[in-house]
Amino acid sequence: MIDIAGVLAANFLYVILITLGGVLVSGSVHFVPVGGAPAAMAQATGIGTGTVQLAAGAGLTGLVTAGAMLNLTDSIALILAAGMVGAMIMIGVTMIIGNLVYIYGVGVPPASAKVDYDPITKDRQDIYVSQGTEGHGLPTVSFVSGIIGGGLGGIGGALVYYSLMSIANGMASADFIGLAAIFAVGIFFVNAVIPSYNIGGTIEGFHDPKFKKWPKAVVTSLIVTFMCAIVSVITIGGL
Amino acid sequence: MSAGGSGGGASEAIPQNKLIAFGAAGGLIAIYLSYFMVQFAGPAFSFIGALGAICAIVWGSAAVRRVASYGLGTGVPSIGMLALGMGVVATMFGLAIGGIAGPIVAFVTAMVIGLVIGALANRIIGMGIPIMEQSMTEIAGAGTLAIVGLSTAMTGTFMFDVVLTEVIATGYIALIFIAGGMAILHPFNANLGPDEKQDRTLSTAFEKGAIAMIMAGIVSAVSAGASAAPTIVIGLAIWYVSFSQYRNYVVRDAYDVVGTGLLPKEEEESE
Repeated sequence: MIDIAGVLAANFLYVILITLGGVLVSGSVHFVPVGGAPAAMAQATGIGTGTVQLAAGAGLTGLVTAGAMLNLTDSIALILAAGMVGAMIMIGVTMIIGNLVYIYGVGVPPASAKVDYDPITKDRQDIYVSQGTEGHGLPTVSFVSGIIGGGLGGIGGALVYYSLMSIANGMASADFIGLAAIFAVGIFFVNAVIPSYNIGGTIEGFHDPKFKKWPKAVVTSLIVTFMCAIVSVITIGGL
Repeated sequence: MSAGGSGGGASEAIPQNKLIAFGAAGGLIAIYLSYFMVQFAGPAFSFIGALGAICAIVWGSAAVRRVASYGLGTGVPSIGMLALGMGVVATMFGLAIGGIAGPIVAFVTAMVIGLVIGALANRIIGMGIPIMEQSMTEIAGAGTLAIVGLSTAMTGTFMFDVVLTEVIATGYIALIFIAGGMAILHPFNANLGPDEKQDRTLSTAFEKGAIAMIMAGIVSAVSAGASAAPTIVIGLAIWYVSFSQYRNYVVRDAYDVVGTGLLPKEEEESE
């Protein structure tokens, strides 16, 4: 039988770090301009797919880049930076290609329906919003917000993975990497879905009024990730 | 955006309690039966684990159908990914510490995590879905049994040392994650709408479960403890029967089914 109390006491720092990583992922989703199905038809501002797909795409890229860096160094700063940059590149490319499609394919100007003036460029927004839509494309503020979200999500994912990989255990390295990776993916998905219910599926970025709801998702994620962290630390530490 | 929200509970011909019994009891019994039959009668019986996974998948998609009928505010796929996210964490924990009781430990752990998420979704996030707690508990349990069942079909056992080297380290766990999640989320996602019927949705669940079973069979070809042929053949048979049944339901529910013929050869002919 596993010495549950001993494993937890030895690795309590990692339980905290995993929880923090999950909370970062949950908060980061609020920054990402998710448009859902309406945006796929250029009828809402944001990227035309759901939160979970975007978070999975950016977050898992962050996990891959963080994992690659973990092969080379033990420095937590470098690993988190690798995860952050990986996720930022992935979400940035997604948004650029999305905007290319919206502008040159669909033929709509990027415009936000939630604010009259872009808070960053001060450009007028409301006169460019087509009638009957909630905006379209990705205006500058949404793009910047998305990059911030990708960065935070990447740090969160990398932090979860780094913490799991730091737990002392008796497994062969291939088994250990597989187990830590699937735990990180599971925790990541849970924390990507919770904020998506919080924002009701769509958000434009940090200028969207729905952004103010973030504490609710963060508290929920804090409790849920803490449970998942204890369970995963006991599993890995006990083997 | 509200995907498929009819704003109320879904009508059901088969009561949910029967589906819970079918999924939970059927899933656990099949997983244990598979384990003991492989131990005492040979690896050919590993397919029973996949049958357990199908029971769990049908139960899970019935639960998804009930909760998503209220309108989640976002796409139905999110809840399938949540189910498998909770499920995979609970499965690893349960199998690692549980030994022979592994599937039961995993099942109970998943339901506790699901209950907490369901309660927080209503209390803190304020989703206001009355069956949220119950449905999240069911979905997490179903996701876990689907993972354990498919792992058992792949390796012939749910003992963690074997599952760790043959399913997790090889990366097939990612296949289980997506195939199992897809099987739970897709039935309602494909059939939602005002004319959605429980039997049609559940026949899709059987069909998706059969596809996951066939995949598990292909993977088990490289495993010493499980044999591929029975899993693939039985999976194909279940797929054929359930897909035919699904098609019958579609024809039954459609106003009319007509052939459009082939595309016209030239643009002018269509005028």
